[in-house]
Amino acid sequence: MRIVLAQIAPSLGNIRANFDLHLQEIDRARQEKADLVLFPELSLTGYLLKDLAEGVALRPDTDRYFQELKTLSRDIGLVLGFVEEKERGLIYNSAALLAGGEILDVHRKVFLPTYGMFEEGKFFAPGRNFRVVPTPWGKAGLMICREFLSHGAHYLLLAQGVELTLAVSAAPGRGLSEAEDFASARMWEVMAEAMSYFSGSFIAYCNRAGYEDGIAFGGGSFIFDPFGRRLVKGRPAERERIVQDIDLEDIRRARTVMPFLRDDRPEIILNALRRVVHSYED
Amino acid sequence: MKINCEFVERILCGFIREELGKSGFGRGILGLSGGLDSSVCAALAARALGPENVLGLILPYKDYVPQDIADAEDLTRRLGIRVRTINIAPMVDPYFAAEPTSDRKLLGNKMARERMSILYDQSARDKSLILGTSNKTELLVGYGTIHGDLACAVNPLGDLYKTQVRQMAVHLDIPAAIRSKAPTAGLWPGQTDEEEIGITYEELDAILFELVDRRRRVEETIGSGHDREKVERILRLIRGSEFKRRMPPIAKVSGRTIGQDFLYPYDWDK
Repeated sequence: MRIVLAQIAPSLGNIRANFDLHLQEIDRARQEKADLVLFPELSLTGYLLKDLAEGVALRPDTDRYFQELKTLSRDIGLVLGFVEEKERGLIYNSAALLAGGEILDVHRKVFLPTYGMFEEGKFFAPGRNFRVVPTPWGKAGLMICREFLSHGAHYLLLAQGVELTLAVSAAPGRGLSEAEDFASARMWEVMAEAMSYFSGSFIAYCNRAGYEDGIAFGGGSFIFDPFGRRLVKGRPAERERIVQDIDLEDIRRARTVMPFLRDDRPEIILNALRRVVHSYED
Repeated sequence: MKINCEFVERILCGFIREELGKSGFGRGILGLSGGLDSSVCAALAARALGPENVLGLILPYKDYVPQDIADAEDLTRRLGIRVRTINIAPMVDPYFAAEPTSDRKLLGNKMARERMSILYDQSARDKSLILGTSNKTELLVGYGTIHGDLACAVNPLGDLYKTQVRQMAVHLDIPAAIRSKAPTAGLWPGQTDEEEIGITYEELDAILFELVDRRRRVEETIGSGHDREKVERILRLIRGSEFKRRMPPIAKVSGRTIGQDFLYPYDWDK
């Protein structure tokens, strides 16, 4: 299977321009004979939308951009980010997975970072679910940016037997050191290495590049294999198209060597977690 | 506090290029004092935009500090950027003839705002955007003139401490004559920042880094070896200068107020 990570820099609030950028990238990915192309979080709209968010919200079932994307997805899988109007007045930071001419999943961001420089909770409604859906390449689960840093979210995908975690991101670069990257790059890879290894699954993470209001997005998109090995990494904070082949049989191999998934007991975790949650004091 | 200068250069040059480009500008303009910050900013802009797309304005008062003027001129030659020199004495002298003062700060602030006024006019004539040159140290302690040298369209240096700008200066081959100069706001001849603030930039940056970046409490910062009086003085400077870092408050009377619940990105529609 061939995956393309489109480490693009969408323009803020300009769906038309971003849609054209998607078309170009999809076209190039096709020429590369890719099976799946990932775009970053909010790739159709840009990230720092604030009050612009409601004006660029789309309904995937009726929207004409999505009609076109569905057609394009007949011979290449797509993962992209957009603002979704689920019902009147409720907008979500969502990611869509399309393949075979259909929308296979729309994931609504559950953990909306609202601290320090982040204010997503001011503008978006939170999603409620993490799920895995069947795809032509195996069981896949979507994640959006901050969710990727939640081991609970990863566990929910693991409990559903995830084989391919598809994460979209608009993570700013933060923190300087003597290294040739932002200090914040490390946490994404730490999580990816641990989660791919301990779930015996692939992780593909596409982060954006470019600048919005002075913020440089960190780039550094990557793919980890089921042995916890990083197969590829994009340049920090720079536009890039990353092409990587993966061998899905590595999932079977890794899970045979280390049967973490087989030996997991979600029902015990669930029961224990229920007791823990019920014992919380206000 | 040590930074990877090559990486920072790439990020800041990208910032200059993209922020200007998004606004439809390919050119930058900045005031050159012959000091460190404006020299580093000019060097970054020259690399980001191409030297022909950078205009350096040298804006002396009379013939004050000829060495600074010479250093600024020398820098423009080294970088290959465009340069114009406009003496501000014919603008500010009539004002102070009518409104005399011996207060050096009043004189200095007025001159800083005169330079700002010329920069904005020249930026419109040149179809370029103004690059700010205030660093993180100055911004945090409020060491700048509001609507004077603090005014700009974009600021590439505002998240680098002075000592980090010095690292960038070495990386960018800024001449030693400029790098070894005592930092000055240039409000009056012979003024130096460190004398006026009463602390060296090394120490000031170390304390700011503890308080701001590492989120250490006052007692923790003092506990790590810093002088109590200095830490408290710096805190007072930070607190007292927030107004220079913010848009002025608007009296909220309507249901939707600019800055409160009318919230759009700076890069709106760019």
